[in-house]
Amino acid sequence: MNVTPNVLKDYVFGELNAAEMRAVEAAVAADVSLREELVRLQNTQSALFSLPDEEIPRRIAFVSDKVFEPKWWQVWLNSAPRMGFSAAALLAGAIVFHGFAQPKPMAPAAAFDQAQFERRISDEVAKALPVALENVEKRHRMQLAAAIKEADEKYQQLRREDQLAMAASYSLFTEKQAARLVAFAQNASSGVQ
Amino acid sequence: MIFREVEDRDLILKAQRGDVDAYNLLVSRWEKRIFNYLLRLVRNREDALDLCQDVLLKVYQNLRKLEDPARFAPWMYRIAHNEAYSMLRRKKPEDDLETTPLDVPSVGGQMLPVETALAVDAALQRLSEEQREAVVLKVYQGFKFEEMSEILGCPMSTVKSRLYTALDLLKDTLAPAAIPRSKS
Repeated sequence: MNVTPNVLKDYVFGELNAAEMRAVEAAVAADVSLREELVRLQNTQSALFSLPDEEIPRRIAFVSDKVFEPKWWQVWLNSAPRMGFSAAALLAGAIVFHGFAQPKPMAPAAAFDQAQFERRISDEVAKALPVALENVEKRHRMQLAAAIKEADEKYQQLRREDQLAMAASYSLFTEKQAARLVAFAQNASSGVQ
Repeated sequence: MIFREVEDRDLILKAQRGDVDAYNLLVSRWEKRIFNYLLRLVRNREDALDLCQDVLLKVYQNLRKLEDPARFAPWMYRIAHNEAYSMLRRKKPEDDLETTPLDVPSVGGQMLPVETALAVDAALQRLSEEQREAVVLKVYQGFKFEEMSEILGCPMSTVKSRLYTALDLLKDTLAPAAIPRSKS
């Protein structure tokens, strides 16, 4: 096996099989320049490994966020069998709806009977008229009774006021009469002396 | 590693059947690796994070198209590669105005780990995007040449050529050959 610098690189990176690795190790052991080259490659690799991985600034957990989950209709739309089923169901529904929802033909209008119509009106009027008259008379009786009662109360009130006025006048008259009699008596007694 | 692959396979199959929790667990296993892969390509943490989010969303949306769960990693990195290059192409005019990389110190002498890391970072920055991606996929992500070929969408010979060239450049910077002492 011809151990070239590129084969040494493959050796460093672990790209060789076991037999190739043994061949390289044997060649390196026998050749100083190859050994120096291998050391330089290994030092380079060690230096590269000294560069640390950085921690991710914040964890990326977006998948658990609800916003990224497909909506129910997206899941539905993405499913071809479901789409086929839904299309068939829609078609069947439309057929059934068409069967039930078709408007029924209207029955022809019956012939108009003028005599029966007038008779029915007469019956209704005859039935309603006594009730209406009774209601009117009742209302009049009530209004009349209320008016009589109000007039009577007013008369009684005036009568009481007149009685009070007459009593007051009589009382005043008697007081004045008494005063005049007292004055007359005093004048008479002073004239005698 | 074998157990992890088996578990990943189970999670992928569950996620393909719509199990969101399974996919979430899958994300928690891969997000750091994907983020670092993207970070080393685009060299900007915010861009890498945005890309990482986009990649994992696309993976989720297209997971049912993955026929062989064993090919999950290369398939996902292929999506990440496409997303990263799409963004790099968009941002190319701005980046051309940026300053050139600093001179890279050699790792040959005694250096602190931080200095070594800085030197490696600068050395990686001097590679072309294609070379850098080959190094990242091989060294940091541990993919085989065949998988890298699938991810990068190019023949294995091209992958090897990019990687070998990049490694020679890195070796000259990070592990320069010892200067032979002159006999006085």
